[in-house]
Amino acid sequence: MKRIAVVNGVRTPFIKAWTLFNDIPAQTLGGMCVQELLQRTEIDPALVDQVIMGCVGQPIDAANVARIIALYGGIPKDKKAYTVNRNCASGFEAVTSAVEKINIGQDEVIIAGGAESMSNAPLTFSKPAAELFMELSRAKTLGARLGVFSRFRLKHFQPVAALQLALTDPACGLNMGQTAEVLAKKFAISRERQDAFALESHKRVAAAREKLREEMMTVFLPPKYEQAVKDDNGVRENQSPEQLAKLKPVFDRHSGTVTAGNSSQITDGACALLLMEESKAKAMGYTILGTIRAYEYSGLEPSEMGLGPAFAIEKVLRKSGLTLKDIQLFELNEAFAVQILACIEAMASAKFAAENYPGGKPLGELDPALLNVNGGGIALGHPVGVSGARLVLTCLKEMKRRNLNLGIASLCVGGGQGGALILERS
Amino acid sequence: MGSWFFEEKDKIGILTLDKPGTDVNVLTTESLTEFKDQHLAKIAARIDLEALMIRSAKSRIFVAGADINEIAGITTEKDAFEKAEQGKAVFQKLEDLKIPTVCVINGACLGGGYELALACTYRVAAFSDNVKIGLPEANLGILPGFGGSIRLPRLLGLTKALPMILAGRVVSAKDALKVGMVDRLFPAGSLDADALAFTRQAVQKKIRPKKRTKDFMTGFLEDNPLGRSLVFSRAREDVAQKAKHFYPAPYEIIKLIEKTYGRVSPRAYRLESEHFARLGTTGVSKNLIKLFFMSEKYKKVAWTKLAVKTPPVKKCGVIGAGVMGGGIAQLVSAKNIPVRVKDINEGALGGALREAQQIYQGALKRRKITGYEMARKMNLISVGLTPEGLQRCDVIIEAVVEDLGIKQKVFKDLDERASAGTILASNTSSLSVTKMAAVTQNPGRVIGLHFFNPVHRMPLVEIIRAEQTSEETIDRMVQFARLLGKTVIVVQDAPGFLVNRLLLPYMNEAAYLLETGMGPEQIDRLVENFGMPMGPVELADQVGIDVGVKVAHILQDAFGARMRVADILEDVKQKGLLGKKSGKGFYLHQGKKKTVNPEVKTGTHPAKVSEEDALKRMIYIMINEAARCLEEGVVDSPETVDMGMVMGTGFPPFRAGLLHYADQTGLQNIVTDLERFAATVDRERFQPSPYLLKLAKENRKFYS
Repeated sequence: MKRIAVVNGVRTPFIKAWTLFNDIPAQTLGGMCVQELLQRTEIDPALVDQVIMGCVGQPIDAANVARIIALYGGIPKDKKAYTVNRNCASGFEAVTSAVEKINIGQDEVIIAGGAESMSNAPLTFSKPAAELFMELSRAKTLGARLGVFSRFRLKHFQPVAALQLALTDPACGLNMGQTAEVLAKKFAISRERQDAFALESHKRVAAAREKLREEMMTVFLPPKYEQAVKDDNGVRENQSPEQLAKLKPVFDRHSGTVTAGNSSQITDGACALLLMEESKAKAMGYTILGTIRAYEYSGLEPSEMGLGPAFAIEKVLRKSGLTLKDIQLFELNEAFAVQILACIEAMASAKFAAENYPGGKPLGELDPALLNVNGGGIALGHPVGVSGARLVLTCLKEMKRRNLNLGIASLCVGGGQGGALILERS
Repeated sequence: MGSWFFEEKDKIGILTLDKPGTDVNVLTTESLTEFKDQHLAKIAARIDLEALMIRSAKSRIFVAGADINEIAGITTEKDAFEKAEQGKAVFQKLEDLKIPTVCVINGACLGGGYELALACTYRVAAFSDNVKIGLPEANLGILPGFGGSIRLPRLLGLTKALPMILAGRVVSAKDALKVGMVDRLFPAGSLDADALAFTRQAVQKKIRPKKRTKDFMTGFLEDNPLGRSLVFSRAREDVAQKAKHFYPAPYEIIKLIEKTYGRVSPRAYRLESEHFARLGTTGVSKNLIKLFFMSEKYKKVAWTKLAVKTPPVKKCGVIGAGVMGGGIAQLVSAKNIPVRVKDINEGALGGALREAQQIYQGALKRRKITGYEMARKMNLISVGLTPEGLQRCDVIIEAVVEDLGIKQKVFKDLDERASAGTILASNTSSLSVTKMAAVTQNPGRVIGLHFFNPVHRMPLVEIIRAEQTSEETIDRMVQFARLLGKTVIVVQDAPGFLVNRLLLPYMNEAAYLLETGMGPEQIDRLVENFGMPMGPVELADQVGIDVGVKVAHILQDAFGARMRVADILEDVKQKGLLGKKSGKGFYLHQGKKKTVNPEVKTGTHPAKVSEEDALKRMIYIMINEAARCLEEGVVDSPETVDMGMVMGTGFPPFRAGLLHYADQTGLQNIVTDLERFAATVDRERFQPSPYLLKLAKENRKFYS
């Protein structure tokens, strides 16, 4: 396998859905991000062979949104682009697809990342309503039109939120929050532990503002362009444990522990990374952020999707002949506090290892001091198609700051998968 | 050798125009005569022919129009009348053919070319960007004289045809189909074959000329006298607003169509010739034709002796996100070139984006671009506080504040940072580019690129050749500015270059006139009546008094007493009356309304100046300075002066520029007046320049 480098990357601030980026579609967020990456890396856009973007809720007016992002971003028309969707790991998938393309020699230089505007997830009509609308548009005479009209009922005008559907797993019928509740019960993780974790996430992001700015671009808000957005806005700086404790469980009203406060937020954002072979990057005079040493995806029981990292990390460590102790920094996507806590327990549990790991041995204790040192999705938000790319960027930048050699970025995936990448600086 | 070639395919005649020795077809008296005598006569006599197609053998042009040189050469009304009569007689013969005729439009089909097409039964054209169709005669101060003024309204109806002829509008193939100027569009690659098939169908009567259907409103406006008079009076108001009283052609066009619309008698065509004759000999038309020739020429002037072409600009940087920097960024992005804007002030960066967005929003409203194009173009503008993104630029344009020291700092920094192939340009309006180049290691790549405000509207770019600017740098920037849709003039690096060197003394003179006691409105009205788009006092307010005074001082420092800045300008600046941007200048600005600002003390040096003299002082001072520019070699030719003045300051096009105006006024007359002003007003300001004196003495003109 070639050594493939992440030369540099940039992301937009992560912005709570339906707030500042409400009017900016995913293609524009992605486009400005790619454009900024071209500027920061000073690369000739004609050298970029491919743009690969993760996006889960593709805008209905921008099929293959990666192509639109490439064109908006100033990539020449004759270059290629495609969109990937591995649900929450779409940002990862963009990066690992890029690695594969470069590895087999199909492309040399790739921009990979993700773009998601959860604010712009559409509302749709039910199938019976859609059929009536269709009939209406086909009706030629006034009489026929009135006939169709008379069959409309109030229920037909009840919209269906695409976002709601997207966050529900049709395989197990649970929505993501409900899968988190499954883990809370299975691993007996209390509300207090979850809230404490969430609180820490916010604290860490608040403390790391300056650092995080290094990976971000400034976005001027159209149409007035007066406001310059340069920070993530999901962070609650002065959040108290009491405030968190007051929140009602969302997914299981009676005995639940998962609240809006200890879950990731619904967020808009984009991220773009420049990838090429390490030797090529060096030849071009770049100081790279790091390389991707190995990656793995893994499937698991959909109703326990939050355990994805516990599976994927085991697999990727085994593959690369490393142990958990070798890893100096962890960037795990915080879909839910409980899901991270469950992963930590699972990885250390002999029982879990015996049931699930081929070698039967637990991976060991993950030092919380090395985990999400600048906070994570609970405070930053989780724009589903983007988070994977963000984890890689954030992890590599922090490894550089601390001058570390090995890091892992990992996340859980709705539908029951996990993904993990080993990042290396040498 | 003839221009027309006849062939036959299964009883369908095909007549091809292929003017020898050129790649442009134009209609000359000669080619029209050939068309009529050698071909139409024969075709009319052939009872076996079933149809006639008319096509062009040129790749990009059907017929570009009547030969403008012939129109320029018309000296008498009689001459003009006869020319028009001859041409329309030919087209009448064409229209009178008993068989269907099909005009096959593969490229530009303008003026006389489209009048030919209008005389055919059908018009088909290619799906091609080369196709441009219209009757642009009004732009040359005349009207369509080969029957177009009669036939287009007949074809399209009054409400569509009248505005087109008045504006001299030229449209794309798609739009031509939409309004009905052509009947069908075919792919360019199969135009001839498809047109032939179309012609066959016409012969078989499977196709008939389209009957126009009108909606109720159009019917009301066109089909009864009341509606028509409404259309004409609206058109008159419109013309009065746009063309003022300077341009007679639109008024004649309205008069003509008013008399002829809905009539089919030969009398209508005769009237057209009469109205044409009236316009064909006017000075306005002659001047507009001169200007047309000049602007065609200046689209192509090489400006360097380079044999090889320089590569196109693919990425542009802009330093300074002010009004100019923002405007340049928008313009560059509009041509799909990525542009990086750097400023030290974040608010300014947002402002530049806002400016661009507003310009695009306007274009979107006027349906010049689509929402998708706008999103894409906006994304091509990226902004930053750091020098990131500048390294790979082909050109970086500096548009920071007009201060040599600051500009030199910028240039020194850019010189160290930018890659070797990057051109470093300054958008300065009057500072020495040579001095900016002096702080760089490679002065050959430093150049002046003077855009005018508002950048997206003003058609001129003044390119400044500094002492060591290389030929490659000049050529690349000339191509770049043309790509941006601008007219280019290249001038030497002297204070104020050309445009500001002429314009500032003119504004300064207006200030001196204010000191004599003339009012701002009086002065502005005088100059507007001369044909300038805006008076000098209002212009000063628009530009910003502080900006104007700054440039005026640069000129005073360079040229001494003859450019001494009028006290009133200093005074107004001191009072903080900075013009439109501060709401107060010589005028008080409230939205679009303006009233004279009572705070400004005029009449500080009372004198009686006639309006005639006032105007002369302002205009002649520019002529005098232009003569110096020519003498010093700041500009290469009087044409460059005129292009610069028309495109850069809106000097009246119907006067064909400052120096054409000087020639038409008579240089001796100008010298006499200047000498009188020198004796009575100020010797320094009005002393005629040696070159002007010499020309006048030798009884020569600027254009010899």
